[in-house]
Amino acid sequence: MKVRLLHTRDVSPGHVRSAFSGLAPPLVPGEALPFRASLSSAYDRSRAQYDAFSVLEAVPEPEAGWLNLLLVEADLFVPALTYVFGLSHVGGRRGVLSLARLKPPEESAVSEELLLRRLAIEVAHELGHAAGLVHCAVGDCAMHRSLWPESIDLKNPAYCLSCRALFPEG
Amino acid sequence: MSAPVKLMIVDDEPHLRSSLTFWFKEEGYDVLSAGSGREALATLLREAPQILLVDIKMPGMDGLEVLRKVRETAPETTVIIMTAYASVETAIQALKDGAYDYIVKPFDPEAISRLVKKAAERYTLLSENRELKARLEAAEPALVTAGGGPMAKVLELVDQVAPTDTSVLVTGESGTGKELVARLIHARSPRRFGPLSVVNCGALSEGVLESELFGHEKGAFTGAVGRRRGKVELAHEGTLFLDEIGDVPPKVQVDLLRVLQEKQVVRVGGNQTIPVDFRLVTATHRDLEDEVAAGRFRQDFFFRIHVFAIELPSLRDRPADIPVLAQHFLARFASAMNRRIGGFSPGALAAMADYPWPGNVRELQNAIERAVVLCKGDTIEAAHFPFTTNGHAAAATSLTLASAEEAHIRKVLATMSFNVAQAARALEIDRVTLYNKMRKYGIDRP
Repeated sequence: MKVRLLHTRDVSPGHVRSAFSGLAPPLVPGEALPFRASLSSAYDRSRAQYDAFSVLEAVPEPEAGWLNLLLVEADLFVPALTYVFGLSHVGGRRGVLSLARLKPPEESAVSEELLLRRLAIEVAHELGHAAGLVHCAVGDCAMHRSLWPESIDLKNPAYCLSCRALFPEG
Repeated sequence: MSAPVKLMIVDDEPHLRSSLTFWFKEEGYDVLSAGSGREALATLLREAPQILLVDIKMPGMDGLEVLRKVRETAPETTVIIMTAYASVETAIQALKDGAYDYIVKPFDPEAISRLVKKAAERYTLLSENRELKARLEAAEPALVTAGGGPMAKVLELVDQVAPTDTSVLVTGESGTGKELVARLIHARSPRRFGPLSVVNCGALSEGVLESELFGHEKGAFTGAVGRRRGKVELAHEGTLFLDEIGDVPPKVQVDLLRVLQEKQVVRVGGNQTIPVDFRLVTATHRDLEDEVAAGRFRQDFFFRIHVFAIELPSLRDRPADIPVLAQHFLARFASAMNRRIGGFSPGALAAMADYPWPGNVRELQNAIERAVVLCKGDTIEAAHFPFTTNGHAAAATSLTLASAEEAHIRKVLATMSFNVAQAARALEIDRVTLYNKMRKYGIDRP
């Protein structure tokens, strides 16, 4: 399946390039485009966060054989939870992923490397959901659920054999 | 593999219900949801979820009311209260009303996941504990019953008296399981977390019994090299079980009566009074009313201990339980001795049904153990038992024709595993006649 990586203007081009080039098979890089629509209606003043469901609704429906993923810097939430890394309709072929919670607390060359690895893993994770995959019990599979940022580091930016087999054709 | 833990989300916000349902389903829980307190209670009765996540603020019945109703109808259910309004007072109230914990919306993904996991682990531990307890009780041989009959009535009495603080007198012949009943009363009482202090009063001389019961101070008598706490003192906040109470000498009866009245004890050779709080269970194989009449047992002490009496039936009074007990012991000994013995021959079953079992369950247990040692095939035969049935049966039963008929019917029914049609054929009478005779002699099918 081809991937269209959309990104808000505050996401650094380096992060977009890294996410795009590091896509896990069977995902295939399609195109990376800036996202022009405003997300202001998804902003919740009381929580100073963006409603992930509203942001997801703003992501355009992709054509057949494509998956659309929107990369944002905005911090996302759903009503029940304090935050989410990202959100996708399972099998809906579109998703949203935030970099806000993936960043290590201190900025350094090492932390940048860690961020890029987390980004690759969570891009694979959200695109997996968008393609129809659910969470996986295999601890190091990209589809394993992560409850906090450090737990992402226990996974690999790739799908386990079972998840790969479940990936839809085309 | 065990079944997944069943969880119910109770919240009037559909969006929150659906997102939490999705979230917990992915974690492997069996998830239900309800949009109101009433719907939750109806689902609770139908589906019996083990964990409830309940929103505190809902129209109609609020979360605290749901919590109270759940405590009344399904007290084993774990309730976690959710709220968007962090209020200490409400949290305290919820915990006072029996909530397991309290969590503020929106939830930290890790915190909610961990909290529900902890509640699920607690549920698993509690259910394992209940299962083990049930297995342990089933493993208490004297209490094994074929269902119904006099032993089932005893267990009903135990269930009734155990939660109270009433003194219990357990009577019955040797080997009927009096101590097991005492232990069961303790295990099912609110004092079960306290000690069970046991004294066999029949095995000790007066002086030793006094010291055993009340303890002694250093130098109280020759050999009292140190201070020792007695079993009465050790029973504090638990249960004191005095076995063979009918054998207690009169002087010790007076001392015990004083302890029961004053709820305090003085060690032998000491002068300090020690307050004690215990529940008393006593047992004897003697007829204490006869002992009182004969002047060997103090009447005031008898009235003190004879508040609630449980009489254990002898094994011959519960013949339907004999094959069940025998099978229970056979399984246990065959496994312990690594023998493949499947059951009893009809002759062996008849011999057991015929024998009066003066030593009751303990004797049956010993007989089966011996039979398992002697048995070379896969079935226990009558010849493997140490008793000769004819002599004992004749001695134990009356000489009337009716008693002989009753004994014979019981024997044949036991042999045929209480299959009435087969037993009627063996007796060469019709089934209706056999049913009538069973009713006449009070023979119940197990």
